[in-house]
Amino acid sequence: MTRRSRTAVLAIIWAGLVGLAAAYIHATLRVSGDLRLFLPSPQTRAERLILDEVSEGPASRLLMVALHGAPAAELAETSLKLAQALRADPSFELVTNGANQLSAIPPALLPYRYLLSPTLDHHRLDASYLHAELIEREHDLASPAASLLESWLPSDPTLETLKVLDSWEPPHEPRLLDGVWFDAGGNEALLVIETAAAAFDPRAQRAAMHALEERFAAVRASPAVALTVTGPGAFSVLMQNRSEADARLAGILDTLGMAALMLLAYRRWWYVLLGALPLATAGIAALAAVTALFGTVHGITIAFGFTLIGVAIDYPIFVFSHERPGVPAIDTARSIWRTLAIAVVGLCIAYLAFALSGVRGLEQLACFNVAGLAAAGLSTRYLIPRLLPPGARDYGESRLPSRLAAFAARIPRTRWLAPGLLSLSLAVLIVGRSPLWENDLSRLTPVPQSLLREYASLQHELGQPDVRYLVAVSGSTAEQVLSREERLRAGLAQLVADKAVSGFDDAARYLPSAQTQRRRRAALPSSAALRRALRTALRGTDFRPGLFAPFQKDVARARKLAPLTPSNIAGTPLELTIGSLLVHLDGGWTGVVTFTDVRNPSAIERLAAASGIPARLLDLKQASEELVAHQRTRILWSMTAAAALLALVVYASLRSMRRAFVVLTPMALTMLLTLAALHAAGVELNLFHLIALALAAGLGLDYALFFERSSREPAGRRRTLHALLVCATAACMVFAVLASSALPVLRSIGVTVVLGVIGNFSLALVLIGSQETLACSDTTTSPR
Amino acid sequence: MKHLPALVVLLLAPVAGLCAPAGPGSGPRLAALSSAAPRTGFEIDALLEHLARPAPSSTPFLEAHFSALLIRPLVVGGTLEYLGPGSLARTVTEPYHERAEVRGDTVTLERDGEPAQQFSLDRVPALRSLLASFTALLGGNVAALERQFRLDLHGDAARWTLGLTPRDPQIHQRIRAITVSGSGFDLRCLTTFQANGDVTVTLVSAAARARLPAAPDRAWFAAECRGSHARTGEP
Repeated sequence: MTRRSRTAVLAIIWAGLVGLAAAYIHATLRVSGDLRLFLPSPQTRAERLILDEVSEGPASRLLMVALHGAPAAELAETSLKLAQALRADPSFELVTNGANQLSAIPPALLPYRYLLSPTLDHHRLDASYLHAELIEREHDLASPAASLLESWLPSDPTLETLKVLDSWEPPHEPRLLDGVWFDAGGNEALLVIETAAAAFDPRAQRAAMHALEERFAAVRASPAVALTVTGPGAFSVLMQNRSEADARLAGILDTLGMAALMLLAYRRWWYVLLGALPLATAGIAALAAVTALFGTVHGITIAFGFTLIGVAIDYPIFVFSHERPGVPAIDTARSIWRTLAIAVVGLCIAYLAFALSGVRGLEQLACFNVAGLAAAGLSTRYLIPRLLPPGARDYGESRLPSRLAAFAARIPRTRWLAPGLLSLSLAVLIVGRSPLWENDLSRLTPVPQSLLREYASLQHELGQPDVRYLVAVSGSTAEQVLSREERLRAGLAQLVADKAVSGFDDAARYLPSAQTQRRRRAALPSSAALRRALRTALRGTDFRPGLFAPFQKDVARARKLAPLTPSNIAGTPLELTIGSLLVHLDGGWTGVVTFTDVRNPSAIERLAAASGIPARLLDLKQASEELVAHQRTRILWSMTAAAALLALVVYASLRSMRRAFVVLTPMALTMLLTLAALHAAGVELNLFHLIALALAAGLGLDYALFFERSSREPAGRRRTLHALLVCATAACMVFAVLASSALPVLRSIGVTVVLGVIGNFSLALVLIGSQETLACSDTTTSPR
Repeated sequence: MKHLPALVVLLLAPVAGLCAPAGPGSGPRLAALSSAAPRTGFEIDALLEHLARPAPSSTPFLEAHFSALLIRPLVVGGTLEYLGPGSLARTVTEPYHERAEVRGDTVTLERDGEPAQQFSLDRVPALRSLLASFTALLGGNVAALERQFRLDLHGDAARWTLGLTPRDPQIHQRIRAITVSGSGFDLRCLTTFQANGDVTVTLVSAAARARLPAAPDRAWFAAECRGSHARTGEP
């Protein structure tokens, strides 16, 4: 086979492999948005509960909807129709807008009213109680209330249905206008919607938002009616759309910039295409590997992974810049391969440390990077050179590298530079006053302040529970939790009376314990006793004889009912309410008590502590901050382990402690300097900064290894300078675009990498240059 | 107990009842109405204009509820007070004591031997608008009243009946019609026809002072509304 046809076969095989991998990914890959993938596995039941609440608890799935822009009647009409349309849509579990409050007791639960209502705790259905109630009903009938009550009276003369409804009523309800919830000003019709999907499942949330908007457009009373949706799910969709738009723009700018840079540096369009090959191969290989190993990949893994394998853009550049006239590209590649291999293998081994972090997202990231970098390295070594013509010129002779080399040689060398920078950055890090770390979990998807204010005000209008404080009541069975909550209720009512909170909600409010229900059932009179009592009670009233036969029948029926339990309320609206307040976790049960308007958390804490039952106050904000801190500790340990592994690999491949030290110093110093610079600027560090630092370190390793490799030969050093100039410019350009994004996530990655690249390049240039003089003096004084 | 929605409805009657304060100037105004052209739109305007009352004013009332659940009507008596726009009170004194008061959005209800209950009118939006319409009636705001009801006036100046049919389907679901009857500028009675067939008759002003027979029935109350007893001198 000729060289030409071998090249063609190679290119076809490669394209086929990449195509197959891409098809495999397309068929298999599932992107998940579950935040828990990036958090350490919860250790305790409380941590599990917190993670559940934060990532898929009912509070996280609630969307608050405001309809505005038109007269109240049109808004109310739209609210009613929208609620009806959404109830038929499986994307939504619960839709409430204040309408139909009176008929909220499902018919299936009506017979249970005597077991659910507290009446029988204090009274018996005897003649005197019934008589007093019947007189009250006469008075009720002596008013137009009759039209509302009349249909119930024959079966429910003591109005137990109303009492049950009253006890189920939310602690604070928005005002009703035209039959639906409105804000206090009467300008916005309000709805609360619970999505079936978790808040951090962006794809399902997007589908739900889309369905919501579509249904709204179909039912709105007039085009003037406008829709505002707020809530964690809406935020995650919005932020994802924004970051995608920003990332897409950055991608376009970066592609154009890279093409221009490569053209400028190598003056051949063929190089532009070839330069992109290893990166593309790396991306596909990395995705394929993660898909094969994990099946489901977190969206953040993919985003971080692509950021981190960006280092692969450097690999073909090293080959291009090291060309010499007349030398076949394959020889050039062979000559730099050892250094490149150390860089690739070093990073791969370092990323393996992530795999031991115990954080599933990081394990995926490790797999992604190892596969991607290996593919990029191998394609640079075995594919690129075969597609390149023999070298035509020596890029080391270009103007810029020659001048830079001359300039670097003139920089005064001092042994104190490295220790000086080290102490300076340590001093900044230690003395700095601002908090070093950002602990707020919500900053992972930062939401603009204006949206948060809108969210808070709607939450207040709707009387939604406080998302920060909860009391968790645990027990071995649901029944035990319910009876424990019943014991807590007196204390909770006292909290409301003391204005420590303005309301509370728990499962026992809707579903008394079976024990309580049995006690109430036992208090119901027998048919004969009730008949006698009713006959006496009716004396002196004007009710028609025989009117209350349905009442007698219902009481007789209630006497035979088995108590309602969490397991037999399936299919009723209670199931959803109870499901969010009573959770089955790790073989035990946990009851969640939620509060509205918490003014005095320590009063709740004291109550929980003094209650004598396993109840404790959970501060979700504090707990999630602890989780973030916990996660960061693990990541920092992983990064430390990665650094140690990297140092070992470099030492083992260079076989010299001194050379390894020379290579690693600029990288380590840059990391510290970048941290110090960010800290001095008042930036609180988060996960994104750490990932960006890891990328910068990867780039720095390349720079240092190549500088060190070429330190003994001036012509080679100029070629290396050319390569590194292109690399550093490319990295700065790409990440400067990210740094200019309005989104804090992209900005923190961009700024960190740009700082890191500048630091790594200049320190490698200066520090490794100075080692070169040492190395030269070594060779002159000790002949080999 | 807080049977909120039900109890809010109590407020319907007070508002209606307040349309009927006794006024010293009824004689001359009756003359004015008599001289006006009969059975025209103008007649309703003129009537409503003269039915309007400044706050505060009060009137006794006597009210009967005819319900399918009861063997005889429930009859209560007491005082209705118009305390100013949006503020009304209904005090039952016979045969038991009860006071219901609306101020703004809040309804307060007191019954003998029970703690006072407060709740928001928001719970019963249909009644909120009904209440607003009666305030319109008392304030002589014909336009506001016509937005809420279809109005039609029967009879002559000496004995007239104003029919109010709710336009809002939600209200119409519960209340089919309300008739307001009187003679001259004196309002005698309001009758509420509920969708379920129940009827409430509220006699006010002079009519409320009628002596109840031993077993008052629909016919007796209807006659009181028309003013037949008063005119014929029968009890």
